[in-house]
Amino acid sequence: MMNIEKFVGEFAAQFEDTPPESFKADTIFRDTEEWDSLVALSVIALADEEYGVKLTGDDIRSAATINDIFEIIKAKKG
Amino acid sequence: MNNIFSLQNKSILITGASSGIGRQVAITASQMGADVIITGRDEQKLAATKELIAGDCTVIAADLVNEREITHLVSQLPKLHGVVFCAGVIDYTPIKFLNAQKIADIFSINFNSQVLLTQQLLKNKKIEKAGSLVYVSSVSSKLGVAATSLYAASKAALTAFAKVTATECAGQRIRSNSICPGIVLTPMTDKAMEASADEGMEKAASEYPLGYGLPEDVAGLAVYLLSDASRWMTGSEIVIDGGLTLK
Repeated sequence: MMNIEKFVGEFAAQFEDTPPESFKADTIFRDTEEWDSLVALSVIALADEEYGVKLTGDDIRSAATINDIFEIIKAKKG
Repeated sequence: MNNIFSLQNKSILITGASSGIGRQVAITASQMGADVIITGRDEQKLAATKELIAGDCTVIAADLVNEREITHLVSQLPKLHGVVFCAGVIDYTPIKFLNAQKIADIFSINFNSQVLLTQQLLKNKKIEKAGSLVYVSSVSSKLGVAATSLYAASKAALTAFAKVTATECAGQRIRSNSICPGIVLTPMTDKAMEASADEGMEKAASEYPLGYGLPEDVAGLAVYLLSDASRWMTGSEIVIDGGLTLK
């Protein structure tokens, strides 16, 4: 069963300089100063490794919050 | 007419000819007079490539990751005047997400299979004296673009291998050179752009003074390398990137 808290934790782990506590399900990830295309690629790799789901650049671009990405992964996982 | 760029009477093998750069190299080489032998994994796409070729074209499907299929391919080949190694895949994986399997997979296609095909062609004396081996590498092998560690490393390995091949084959006047293209618009890069998190193709294309490349651009260079015009060139790495590395 997919769990949003677990996912937020995994998402937060892709950042080096931003404290994990600052990430919540409704965090607008793009507003994080550290967010860049490499972090985005890490999230894509995370989705593949942890959930077996292939996220695309368009998926990331269409999402605003961490929860949005979580929902896309859930939908793709089926 | 003595056209030093002509490939008349030359038999050329092209790998990765199902699409992209490989397909166009086959088409252009044929237009320059070569008899082409095309190989790739996808029989349907190879057939589609053959449709686009007016001259002599033989199709031999093979998965070059499988050593037995390399042997089978080589056993069916006539003596060749040139080979263009276009088969390859791209990969975007941040270093923190690498694992042994991914390394093995990317290197298997981008490096090992080209090496083993070269080995079998040479061992079985399938390359004519003064023949030309052309390896399609990438400008990535010289840059350090994030998430391209496996792709860049496998292409750098291929380029280094091509140089040693040049030395070992010089006695037979067989030449070996690599082409390092920048981003060329092909199904491989289409998929990569879709999969990656780039902020849109337009922004990345603006890094290129001359924009992104087309398969025809690389094919033109491949023809030069296959032709007698480049008979004194061996062990070279030729960057063709629309000016990307100028910046």
